[in-house]
Amino acid sequence: MKLSRNMTGWLNVTPLLAVLVPFFIVPILVVSVASVMQTDGYGGMFMDFTLGKYLDVATSALTYNLYFATIKFALLTLVFSAFIGFWVAYFLVFHVRSKLIAMGLFLVCTVPFWTSNIIRMISWIPLLGKEGLVNQALLGAGLIHQPLEFLLYSSFAVVVAYVHQLTIFMIVPIFNSMARIDKRVIEAALDAGAGRWDIMRMIVIPMSKSGIALGAIFVVSIVMGDFFVVKVMSGGGTASVVGAFYEDISVLQYPTAAASAVILTIIVMLMVAVILRVVDIRREITL
Amino acid sequence: MTAPISARTGTTMMRRKVRKSSDRPWTFYVLASFFALYVIALYGPMISIYILSFQDVQGGLVFPMRGVSLYWFNELIMQTRAGDVSGAFSRSMYLAVSVTVITVVVSFMAGMAFRRRFRGDTIVFYLMIASLVAPGLVLGIGIGLGFNMLGIETSWYTSALGAQLSWTLPFGILVMFAVMSRLNNDWEEAARDLGASRAQTIILVILPILAPGLIAVALFGFTLSYDEFARTLQTAGPLNTLPLEIWSMTLNVTSPSLYALGTVSTVVSFIIIGVSLGSIVMLQRRSAARLNNAK
Amino acid sequence: MSTGKGDIELAGVAKSYDGSTYAVDGINLKIPDGAYCCLLGPSGCGKSTILRMIAGHEDPTVGEILIGGEDVVGLDPVERRTAMMFQSYALFPHLSVRDNIAFALRVRGMAKGARDDKVDAMIEKVQLGEFANRLPAQLSGGQQQRVALARAAITEPRVLLLDEPLSALDEHLRIKMRAELSRMQRDLGITFIHVTHTQMEAIALADMVVVMDKGQIRQAAPAPEVYARPRDRYVAEFIGGQNVLSGTIGQVNGVRATLAGARFSAINIPIVQSRRLESGQMLDIAVRRDDIDLLRPGGAGVPEGSTAIEGSVIGVEYQGNFVKVMLEAGGEDEFVAYVPERRFFEDALSIGDRVLAVWQIDHAHLLA
Repeated sequence: MKLSRNMTGWLNVTPLLAVLVPFFIVPILVVSVASVMQTDGYGGMFMDFTLGKYLDVATSALTYNLYFATIKFALLTLVFSAFIGFWVAYFLVFHVRSKLIAMGLFLVCTVPFWTSNIIRMISWIPLLGKEGLVNQALLGAGLIHQPLEFLLYSSFAVVVAYVHQLTIFMIVPIFNSMARIDKRVIEAALDAGAGRWDIMRMIVIPMSKSGIALGAIFVVSIVMGDFFVVKVMSGGGTASVVGAFYEDISVLQYPTAAASAVILTIIVMLMVAVILRVVDIRREITL
Repeated sequence: MTAPISARTGTTMMRRKVRKSSDRPWTFYVLASFFALYVIALYGPMISIYILSFQDVQGGLVFPMRGVSLYWFNELIMQTRAGDVSGAFSRSMYLAVSVTVITVVVSFMAGMAFRRRFRGDTIVFYLMIASLVAPGLVLGIGIGLGFNMLGIETSWYTSALGAQLSWTLPFGILVMFAVMSRLNNDWEEAARDLGASRAQTIILVILPILAPGLIAVALFGFTLSYDEFARTLQTAGPLNTLPLEIWSMTLNVTSPSLYALGTVSTVVSFIIIGVSLGSIVMLQRRSAARLNNAK
Repeated sequence: MSTGKGDIELAGVAKSYDGSTYAVDGINLKIPDGAYCCLLGPSGCGKSTILRMIAGHEDPTVGEILIGGEDVVGLDPVERRTAMMFQSYALFPHLSVRDNIAFALRVRGMAKGARDDKVDAMIEKVQLGEFANRLPAQLSGGQQQRVALARAAITEPRVLLLDEPLSALDEHLRIKMRAELSRMQRDLGITFIHVTHTQMEAIALADMVVVMDKGQIRQAAPAPEVYARPRDRYVAEFIGGQNVLSGTIGQVNGVRATLAGARFSAINIPIVQSRRLESGQMLDIAVRRDDIDLLRPGGAGVPEGSTAIEGSVIGVEYQGNFVKVMLEAGGEDEFVAYVPERRFFEDALSIGDRVLAVWQIDHAHLLA
């Protein structure tokens, strides 16, 4: 008996759903429910429907500061990683003539991805610290007379660490979409008298859009959901949205944490939805 | 008769080649320098901590290097100040291997499903994307609370495993899409035409063709799990995985043994990449050898 | 058995993918056992859909498909004993030539010894001996095609289905492989159904040419008939080699009738038994390009039993054994005469010359 196409499709995604339902949908529901419950102050919760926690979160000036700081980090990281990722991928695809060398250089870019993020982050400490290499070098060159303080444990350090970790998420998808551009299209454009800038504007950028969008989804969702890099690299001076509700959890304020978690999840989903609206990734990557 | 012709094409080809390599546009040099800077920034910091991890007893967290020894590695192994590193390491390994196996199998099946439209496929797709982008700690809290409500203890091999899969599976499936775009429908039809059953088609045709891509998915699954932090934090239960262990060290330990841990974990990562790439090369060698030996 | 084992009959076959528009519709076709049949038409005409329905890769929405007298709709390709050769060849890239050819025997569970013997014989037959252990990527296009053919043929099918088998090859190789396909078909003695959009390929190979347009069959007949006596304007223009003229019938006098068009004065046309012609009726006729003689006006005049239209030369193309002369005449886009090379240069025409295009009345063919 032949199975219908719909049946085969659903059978094949059943294992996926068997993971996503209990470990994605249910937890989100649990968090949503917890956000309208009351706490007894000792880690226990009881049902007493209230939107009070949302009100608390929404009326607190702290919330806005946190979101402002976190979204600022997300956008800064997005801009820098997209810029670096675009030009690195562009260099590899259009300027390196040997396929083999391009592939080798591409691997060079991806290798650090396989090592620990935390280790890669703390590896900036000996460089950016007060007595770090950068300061030593600048002092030695006589460019500064006092060590620069803003290099480590600052917003600057946070962005450096994010860009260092996440640019790879831009390079890989942009490289993929650029590699699919038919070189003959560009030759044809050159023959038609198009300049370097015309080719960039009319061919390269439109055709790498899906790669940039996919990279942006990774970068935005990772930065928005992170608290660890901010905590370590800012030296505790800057808080983040996730960091704040992690604090709530450690003092057993589950409902408050849950309310901010729900709000954060909605905001991240909205940001991703905006990106998906601009580029139909589904069509671009499955066909 | 054909010799003069081929000789002529030979010289034109050579001439073209010479001309080509001599005039690279100025943008090449700008971008090449940019690329070089990027690679230096990518590797520089990591290399500096590898170097610093080989310092002597009186070594600090910054340059200059104070003496050379394996003291901090010894320190790490002694676990005197570093907590249960080896236990965390073996748990992370078991966890990563389980995540890898499940990710490869489930991603392959889902990838096959998404090759054709089926009713509701868009919902599944966006559910998957949502699971990928959802803040890790939020899911971790939800899973932790959920287990709590059901009265089940969280542990690294149940709740943390599921939490990690909610992130490695969407990732693996996205990679799978790229891998499967190379799979031509004609191969499956040809196999069916030649009398292969569905199972024979998968085993004899699809899996061998996709093998390198599947290894890539495995590599992704392994790394994402081995390095996972946000989703594991609230779900790992009483025993830590390696990233959690490293995290507590970054908060408490301010000695080069932290760097020693970085060096060790990188070496492990490299061994895993080496083994994976080696197995791809070996697979290809073996099939090449089989072809040569046949008959 | 009363019917041959590899004869095919399609009865009232239609296929719709969306329930409203039909990729093919109302297909009735009989292909005799052992025939070389070409399905010919432009892309999107439904020829590949028919092939895939015969192969069992798609099911018709309505209608019956009979192979050897047995309805095969719903059966697997193997049960139908058909084999298909794909346009892309679909050779398994990870298997050697030998393993590709052995694939069908392997999945049937044939023992290795027996398998090897059959595969060796097949490799011998398609002259791939020295390439047996290579991967498909290491072969030329022509060699890949032979592997695909051998892989399909080893299943001992009663029908071999070929989807644009020559389209991936360059011109030179295409003509060589064309001959090889023909030889293979005679060797195997089974029915071949070959889909193509190239008229020359169909005419050169087929016992039977099926001309298709927009999901329907326009004409199914032996190659010489399709070429010399196209059924309608579409077939005449698609197969080529013909000039088509449209006009209105004037007088009808028993053996001859006259036809006048908007841009040419009355010409004589033959009357055939099978057609009733009436004055005032619209009619298309076809005149073969190689049946046309070009004369300069004011010379000997139109010979007895011939008819002519006048026009001027707008193009001359040298083709080697003949010269293609394009005229502006008869109100058609292009009116073409193929003049034998020697004849042309007895009195070479040049662009702008006025000429009479003359043909024997009986050589004109009436279209439906």
